[in-house]
Amino acid sequence: MSFTIENQKERMRFVDKWAEYVKTHSDKDWSRQQNIIINSALKSASMTKEQFFKMKGEKHFKI
Amino acid sequence: MKFTDKKTIQIDREPSDLDNFALDFIKILRKHTNYVIVSGYVSILLGRSRASEDIDVVVPKIDFRKFQAMYKDIKKKNFICLNVEDDKSVFSYLEDGVAVRFANKGNVIPNIEFKFAKNKFENIALDESITVKLSEEELKISPLELQIAFKQEVLKSPKDLEDAHHLEKIAESYLDNKMIKKYREMLREFYN
Repeated sequence: MSFTIENQKERMRFVDKWAEYVKTHSDKDWSRQQNIIINSALKSASMTKEQFFKMKGEKHFKI
Repeated sequence: MKFTDKKTIQIDREPSDLDNFALDFIKILRKHTNYVIVSGYVSILLGRSRASEDIDVVVPKIDFRKFQAMYKDIKKKNFICLNVEDDKSVFSYLEDGVAVRFANKGNVIPNIEFKFAKNKFENIALDESITVKLSEEELKISPLELQIAFKQEVLKSPKDLEDAHHLEKIAESYLDNKMIKKYREMLREFYN
């Protein structure tokens, strides 16, 4: 089995486990943990407008 | 997370920076027009363990005068349009079916990807939206069945399939599987 397929299966197993956690724990509990990922990703996101539009493959903007 | 009825979900979550950003923007938007949040942020709001740099928002097509008032309000609250600045150009993009992006002044991420509804699925999302009640606020999101179908049938990237799987798992007793199947058939027909 290729690495990509195995990796996707592993990721899907994690999605299963996390969804089970969300279902069986309080909203405050899972959201606190989820927020660590979200807030740190936003804090470390540093991109210019041009870089962002390029990443998205969008052309409709003016510098 | 409580699925109160077919149109309401109650979540007592601790708001993330992304939630606060979405709520700030939607507070302005709902004074001017109907709206619905679609795509990745729907899964994130409902617990998916990932971040996103943008939040997709669909609004019904509005006329220039209404847009102008809304855009003025958006700018007053420290948001800027990343694509272009003047109201006529922003509106022209939207009329041409191009999504525009709004961010807080000085930032690029996170941003709101904002567009007018232009096909029947976006209109279904608006007409059949469901309300997510947070502790003091609420947000309108697309029906989960349509979100799942769209991610499985149209987008299909690993990230989208994982989003769909997360929604299927956390809402399994609430979802109408016949509707997912129906939406998938409609999408297949529309996009092929």
